[in-house]
Amino acid sequence: MGRLFAVEIIYRGIFQKTLAKNISRGIVLAAHQAGKPGISFGRYSDSPERNGIPAKSFAIVGTDQETLERGMAKYEPKEVDITITVDDTLCKGVESWAWYGLQPVNKLLKQGGTLIVTSRETPEALISMAHRKEYPYQLCIVKGTVSFSGLWVYKDDHSDVRILGTIARILPELFTLDSLKKVIQDEWHDAVKVSSAERAYERFTSTTVRPNQGNPETPYKFDLPKWHEMGEGVAIPSIPTGKQIEDPGTHAMGGYRPDRNPTFKKFSTRTMRPVVDFDTCIKCTLCWLQCPDTCFDVTPDGLYDANMQACCGCGVCEAVCPVPNCVTMINETEFRDNSSQWEAWKKDKSGYKTWLQQKIESRPERSHGFRYRGQYKEQIPEMLEIAREG
Amino acid sequence: MATYVNIEPTQNLEPFKGVKKLPLEEYFTSGHRTCQGCESALVMKMMVKAAGPRTIVLGSTGCMYVANTTYYSTSWVVPWMHTQLGSSGSAALGTAAGLKALMRKGKIKNEPINVIAFCGDGGGADMGLGAISATLTHPDYNCLILMYDNESYANTDIQLSGSTPWGANTTFSTPGPAKRIMHHRWKKNMAGMMAAGHPTCRYVATICMSYGLHGMNSIRKALTIGGPTFIHSLDPCPKGWDYDPIQSHELGELAVNTGVWPLYEVEDGVLRLTGRTQQIADKRIPRQPVRDYLLRQGRFAHFTDDDIDYFQSKVDEMWHKWLIPGAIPFHKEIEADNPPA
Repeated sequence: MGRLFAVEIIYRGIFQKTLAKNISRGIVLAAHQAGKPGISFGRYSDSPERNGIPAKSFAIVGTDQETLERGMAKYEPKEVDITITVDDTLCKGVESWAWYGLQPVNKLLKQGGTLIVTSRETPEALISMAHRKEYPYQLCIVKGTVSFSGLWVYKDDHSDVRILGTIARILPELFTLDSLKKVIQDEWHDAVKVSSAERAYERFTSTTVRPNQGNPETPYKFDLPKWHEMGEGVAIPSIPTGKQIEDPGTHAMGGYRPDRNPTFKKFSTRTMRPVVDFDTCIKCTLCWLQCPDTCFDVTPDGLYDANMQACCGCGVCEAVCPVPNCVTMINETEFRDNSSQWEAWKKDKSGYKTWLQQKIESRPERSHGFRYRGQYKEQIPEMLEIAREG
Repeated sequence: MATYVNIEPTQNLEPFKGVKKLPLEEYFTSGHRTCQGCESALVMKMMVKAAGPRTIVLGSTGCMYVANTTYYSTSWVVPWMHTQLGSSGSAALGTAAGLKALMRKGKIKNEPINVIAFCGDGGGADMGLGAISATLTHPDYNCLILMYDNESYANTDIQLSGSTPWGANTTFSTPGPAKRIMHHRWKKNMAGMMAAGHPTCRYVATICMSYGLHGMNSIRKALTIGGPTFIHSLDPCPKGWDYDPIQSHELGELAVNTGVWPLYEVEDGVLRLTGRTQQIADKRIPRQPVRDYLLRQGRFAHFTDDDIDYFQSKVDEMWHKWLIPGAIPFHKEIEADNPPA
């Protein structure tokens, strides 16, 4: 029996669908150059994909046909040689659908395998986000702004070929740089893309992540109901109505917190989160009313507190807020927990103000997708510059 | 209404007086698997907020079925049932009739219960058109059919529907180097068709939840007036329209302010323009050029200036040449149609 290679790509649904496809397709084509058969596919259960909701693609390659077929007998590989995460905020965990729980980004990674992350963060920052693993693995950062586009217009910032170049360095048994260069030339007819892949190959660095490093929390998970526990005619219990909230200072009850779907929290979809300046809020209701995810809790004092267990980071609250800088969307990499901003503000208003100011000034900024025609053309040179600096 | 129509009383839902007077309770909550910035999920939330707790919701297949009830879980607080793609009309009528029979036989308490069936544009404007039309001809059952229109089959990854606008990029109309415009049809005029063709239907309206209070009050009116009613909502879709989800609210506003999406209601056969559309028609605010709306969406990124001009001319035609501007596309004379080459 020959050797089986498995690579998974964890990506943001729709935003990075084309990017993930380019990578998994590129892996299989490059391996094919040396006569290795392979297959690239998106995970069926992620379909229909939704903007931002984590999804996976796989590239499975065997040294011979029989090995590949044996590997494909599994719906989803049990372990992978390389996990690619094309958005660094996914290091906090992956929740793709209800009952899935929050799964560590490195869950399928083999001992000594490599986690490749596109990011502008330091290795330390990414390690602290990812959950701990019982054995060591390698972390490789492909430095760059996270590439987000949409279904129809692709932002060709070379993120795809840079990751492919990195794989050629990590796992030359899978495919060599020469095979990859030929594939890139055949697929895109672009010498600049070839040189981007070469540069990523040369600039490769990685860090060993030891078992005592990383987020020590145990991610939440659920036990699926057994068939005999299910209701007649696929009836599902509805969500109870919500309750009032207690003020941490006065202990007065008031406001309203809706009950939420307990088996799908959706916060791993978030790449940015709103921070709220409660001192300037005019209680206009618009963030609460226009939130498609019903994520705002109404506090006893009539303010609106974005619940970080439910917020998926669309940014509509920032867009509808009539007060300048009252609601601001901040890169999710800046945060380490999902605690209530309103409770923090209630406990220490000046401390909260300082915290808020520091968050608003944090960099890099983020956006997620097409805002106007010509935008990607303006952004790509800057992204290629970061890529060149390595 | 003629006396032989046996109509039950409805819940008397007064219009909301302002956003600050809205009830805090939610009947459609968090934890649905929709896209970031999904305006259709917002429609669901506001629809049941407007209807209140004594409501039954029926949903035909589409994003708002698949995303809101994935794998044995749900975000609904009120009772909800799935129905097949083309059967939102049948489900609404059947549920209303069933409730009426159960109450008549004393099996359940006699009280007005709102019945709302929703469908996407694929389930409503394409597949379910016949059933919706049939339901609207039955005057004796109180039910509302709400069509949430994101202008494609968005759930199954953006195939074009009868509601997709001219020229838009979908998986069935991808522009290429040889042919730029692959979709030559214009959007079906659902609300106008329902209003013009169903004299027994007492209320038809168009809404956009970027104007939430207006939308919710339309829903309350539709549920209060009695008999079968129809509402058509335009929902910006970050997935299919290809834009940054932060723009969801603004694109809804742009659809109304550029005149692409006129807001109106037809109550007992009387047409009234509403909201911003009324202000545009009265020339109190200018109608924005459609360019501002089109170039914010990736699905129109392949448009040339000629395409944009043509799109503008068709919107202008709707405002100036239609017999009833915005609503009924009859002309007094034949119009020349010159799409770009």
